Amino acid sequence: MKVDTGFLDALKLGGEFDARLCINCGTCTALCPLGLEILPRRLFRHALLGDRERVLGETDAIFSCLLCRLCEANCPAGVHIAENVRALRAVLNQGVQGLAEA
Amino acid sequence: MTGRKLGVVVCQCGGNISDYVDVEKVRAEAAKDGDVVSSQVQMFACSDAAQQSVIQEIREKKLDGIVVCSCSPKLHTATFRAMAERAGLNPYEYTQVNLREQCSWAHTHDRAAATEKGVRLVRAGIAKTALSQPLEKMRVETLPQTLVIGAGVAGLRAALALSDLGISVHLVEKADHPGGQVRRWGTLFPNDKVGQALIEDLVGRVTARDNIMLYLNSELVEKSGRVGAFSVTIRAANGERIPLNVGAIVVATGFEPYTPAPGEFGAGLDGVITLPELKERLAATAGPLTHRGQPVRSIAYVYCVGSRQPAEEGTRRTYCSRYCCSATSHLATVVTGLDPKIHQFHLFRDVRTYGKYEALYERALKSGSLFLRYSEEDPPAITRENGGLVVRVHDRLLAGEEVEIRPDLVVLVTGMVPRANDDLVRVLKVPIGPDGFFREVHVKLRPVETIVDGVYIVGTAQGPKNVAESVATALASVSKAGALLLKGYVDLDPLVARVDPTRCTWCGDCQTACPYGAIDEVEYGDRHIAQVNAVLCKGEGACVPACAKAAISVQGYTNEQITSMIDALAKEVA
Repeated sequence: MKVDTGFLDALKLGGEFDARLCINCGTCTALCPLGLEILPRRLFRHALLGDRERVLGETDAIFSCLLCRLCEANCPAGVHIAENVRALRAVLNQGVQGLAEA
Repeated sequence: MTGRKLGVVVCQCGGNISDYVDVEKVRAEAAKDGDVVSSQVQMFACSDAAQQSVIQEIREKKLDGIVVCSCSPKLHTATFRAMAERAGLNPYEYTQVNLREQCSWAHTHDRAAATEKGVRLVRAGIAKTALSQPLEKMRVETLPQTLVIGAGVAGLRAALALSDLGISVHLVEKADHPGGQVRRWGTLFPNDKVGQALIEDLVGRVTARDNIMLYLNSELVEKSGRVGAFSVTIRAANGERIPLNVGAIVVATGFEPYTPAPGEFGAGLDGVITLPELKERLAATAGPLTHRGQPVRSIAYVYCVGSRQPAEEGTRRTYCSRYCCSATSHLATVVTGLDPKIHQFHLFRDVRTYGKYEALYERALKSGSLFLRYSEEDPPAITRENGGLVVRVHDRLLAGEEVEIRPDLVVLVTGMVPRANDDLVRVLKVPIGPDGFFREVHVKLRPVETIVDGVYIVGTAQGPKNVAESVATALASVSKAGALLLKGYVDLDPLVARVDPTRCTWCGDCQTACPYGAIDEVEYGDRHIAQVNAVLCKGEGACVPACAKAAISVQGYTNEQITSMIDALAKEVA
């Protein structure tokens, strides 16, 4: 994969996306009531590395998230997982779905 | 049987010895010796309570010699000599038997054989003590003057602290300005002090002192004498040789940043620089970073360049350089402060921001740095393609998937290597460790002392350190030098060579053998004999086998003692 710094900049504009503190422990994945496998540690890693293609390919998963925050409440690194999902949705809304900014 | 009254103490070392050696059997075998009138086993012989009970035993049974079978003499010789002295015994009638490093720890797999060896070692210790003589320490004067080599942050700080104690300092610097490496660096971790300001403050205070003499463009070229009274020669800028007399020497010669070989992690490519180069660039600029006039929008840092190399033949750089992880994490936040939009990728092996420096790593993470871990076997590849830098690294968090980064700047996080100063090493006669840095006596117990009494090693001359650690060792050497010099005298071990004037016929072989120049030819009646300068003699014993007349021996290790020790070691164990 290639790091796309332009996508990283877009993520920053889309909201406060920040998953750098993630220690990749997998607590979030294990707790997810929907059993979304990709979410969030792998997805966030792709996002952090600016892998535009991979993140866009997970649109379904990103929009399936219930934002229940079960993962966030139990994250040992204190990553704001739900906020990050919302930031990703904002980026997808702008760039992929072609929706204009409100 | 010599008619002596000896005591034997066998230490368990809390299991370090007793887990592998049958200490009770060792004690029982020792007690069979005709000279041994007291024997006991202690859990920790070095503890206050145990020492107290041994002192009582020495007094009650009127012992005239004591053998303690515990750890390496390096660790506790001084402890037990002091104990013997408190009990009213001559401290040189005490013998330490190394039952731990040279027995239990070396033979953890075979208790019976370790016990047998232990018995032999104790017998040898008893045999040596039975022939021991009371010896008196030699008291020599010390000069309240010091030589500090290197005017970097450690040398400057040591000079100031020595000056505070009222000890005069000759501060010798090879370069044409003081300040060393720190002077060139901008903001330093952990608390954002500016390197140049730090040095300017120190230099200002040093030059204001009457009892600090700063010599620039100068080098130490000769050293002789002994602890408390060294004669040294400085070669000054104009070639003039300045002789000085000093009581102690502090070596603060610092380090050299590692220079990557051409091609190592892309070294030599346009846009590939080292950590010290980046620090210098940042120190020289107030605005966002640029490279060749273009703004730098992304940086890739490659950690552990030149450090933690595989231990191949001839490789000295197997060590961690300690400061680089913390320095780079801190630097990343400085860079973000100049340009919040910059992208920073840290390609690391292990983040070793030890202690409270972990906060720097967290701050770097939160301020927009991304960390990717690579493995030693699979290092990042750095090339230039189509006019831009390309870094390829396998990210462990993506199961080893290749990640391609196109940064504007690649920073090689280079470690510390020892300075190439072979001439100084030869003059000082201080040993070098396997890593090429000056070697201390014991990393934890005697961290700034060397085997040459009165010569101390501080800062990065001794090994990689950050500024705070360098200053801490500088001040440690000041405590040591202060304790030595302010007393006005030092007691030296009397374990030195002595000549039997009735046997010596002066052939000069001992003088040739002695590496310390401690043997002089003197007149004795109508003939010439050898005489030992006890202050220069280190008790090394090179002269002893050189003497065809057996006229020279080392006190505390006489020929008779060594022969009887060999006999005791060879005797069968039932």
